[in-house]
Amino acid sequence: MSDTAMFAMKQVSKSYGSAYTLHPLNLHISRGELVALIGPSGAGKTTCLNILAGTIEPDAGLLHIAGKPASSYASGKHLAKAVGIIRQQFDLVGSLPVLHNVLAGRLHEWGFGKSLLSFLFPQDKHIAADALNRVGLSDKLYDKTSHLSGGEQQRVALARLLVQQPQAILADEPVASLDPARAEDVLAMLVRLVQEEQLTLVSSLHSVHLARQFFQRIIAIKEGRVFFDLPTADVTEDHITDLYQLTAGHGMDER
Amino acid sequence: MSSKLLDFHKKNILTVLLSAVFIWSLFSVQWGPDLFHPGGQAALGQMMQGLLQPDWSPAILRLALSAAWTTLAYAVAGMSLAIVIALVFGVLASGVLASTRTARNVQVIGFRGALGFMRAIHELVWAWLFVAAIGLSPFAGIFAIAIPYGGILGRIFADMLQDVPEEPITALRAAGASRLQLLCYGYVPIAMADMLSYLMYRFECAIRSSAIMSFIGLGGLGFQIQLSLQDLRYDQVWTFLLFLIALVVLVDMWSQLLRKRLVA
Ligand SMILES: Nc1ncnc2c1ncn2[C@@H]1O[C@H](COP(=O)(O)OP(=O)(O)O)[C@@H](O)[C@H]1O
Ligand SMILES: [Mg+2]
Repeated sequence: MSDTAMFAMKQVSKSYGSAYTLHPLNLHISRGELVALIGPSGAGKTTCLNILAGTIEPDAGLLHIAGKPASSYASGKHLAKAVGIIRQQFDLVGSLPVLHNVLAGRLHEWGFGKSLLSFLFPQDKHIAADALNRVGLSDKLYDKTSHLSGGEQQRVALARLLVQQPQAILADEPVASLDPARAEDVLAMLVRLVQEEQLTLVSSLHSVHLARQFFQRIIAIKEGRVFFDLPTADVTEDHITDLYQLTAGHGMDER
Repeated sequence: MSSKLLDFHKKNILTVLLSAVFIWSLFSVQWGPDLFHPGGQAALGQMMQGLLQPDWSPAILRLALSAAWTTLAYAVAGMSLAIVIALVFGVLASGVLASTRTARNVQVIGFRGALGFMRAIHELVWAWLFVAAIGLSPFAGIFAIAIPYGGILGRIFADMLQDVPEEPITALRAAGASRLQLLCYGYVPIAMADMLSYLMYRFECAIRSSAIMSFIGLGGLGFQIQLSLQDLRYDQVWTFLLFLIALVVLVDMWSQLLRKRLVA
């Protein structure tokens, strides 16, 4: 594996039951790339991201994360230093203050004693304050998380990722539950932070418009296969129309 | 077709059956002048009289206050121990700390079984057992409350921990949290409000249990009520009962305050 590969998949496949959810797939994502993953719902985007994140085991094939085989990551703590994930809201603990949700990004660095102590005397507080400042929520440090709006909660999740300091961020429909203006706002912030920190970003999106606006490379997935994998500039309207066209066997429930 | 029809009428049939059983049970009571014992009516009158004019003399008030304090102290001490039991057994019985599926099953079955044993036996029975074993000591009363209430709370805590939504937990795991860290940054804060409000409800129950417990000679409001009943001093009985009611109402007010702060 070359040094520049953040993710490398070789013939990786996954099935639930008899049919392939993900057909054998080859994928190479370099460090620093901004990749959007688009496709109809049920195409396999979430499955693909979960495999990249190491949270689900592929049935076959090889996956390298940051140059090392995925299986060589001994524990969640090691994996957390390489890959961070953000999904549709609901990922935060609403009853805790914002501060502790952000500091949860430090858990892979902390032992259990320090984690407990942090509830009484917040540890590494300046790191959390700094991260919240960068997502524009410096005044919400002690607010109860469930009192924040959906957009603000996603920004808290971003602050947690900043504190976690992974090398790559995998985002699964990170703005799907926000209104268009908030969605653009939060996605712009995610991309800006990723670029400032020189990280890699792979994000599934249901908005082609947002994918075009913020990403350099678009990978389209349809029925568990790569439908196209192109630089954003080369993606045409015909590509998009074909991608979302209903095919036999897939009914009206496709959105 | 006919099975669907049967399904449809199942509830009605059950209702009719249960009503029939209830009506039949009324016939098995010997209705008649023997139902109240001869002095009953007079006693009932005296009780009512007592309710209208409880004994507010300073000596009785002092006695009631110290008895209420004893009852509260047993309940608080018993519940404190019950909380420790419930947290330890409840967390283990929920299986959230288990590393493998097998370990999880063993833990869940083992600790749920232990919790079931604790709460299957009523606190009065535990009290008799402990009095027989260690005599009339405060510890007998405290343990007699702690064990069954630990069993009840532990079981509910385990259920609440298992019902925690999985998204925040998955996110914490992806951020590199260990199982113990998941517990204190995920499971417990998420379930905390429910756990506390159930705990407060059970605390009320523990006060009643503690009062009853004193009938077997452990002191407190129940013991005073028993003494006054023997003397047929219904006015004093009511004084003590009103203190018991006041205790429960106070705890209820406190729990509502706590709940408001937690849920807000
Ligand atoms: N845990 C699972 N068990 C069974 N089927 C699953 C599971 N996860 C995903 N699938 C199936 O795999 C397909 C792809 O799902 P997913 O990756 O969530 O698609 P997308 O994120 O593109 O909408 C769907 O048909 C879904 O029903
Ligand atoms: Mg999805």
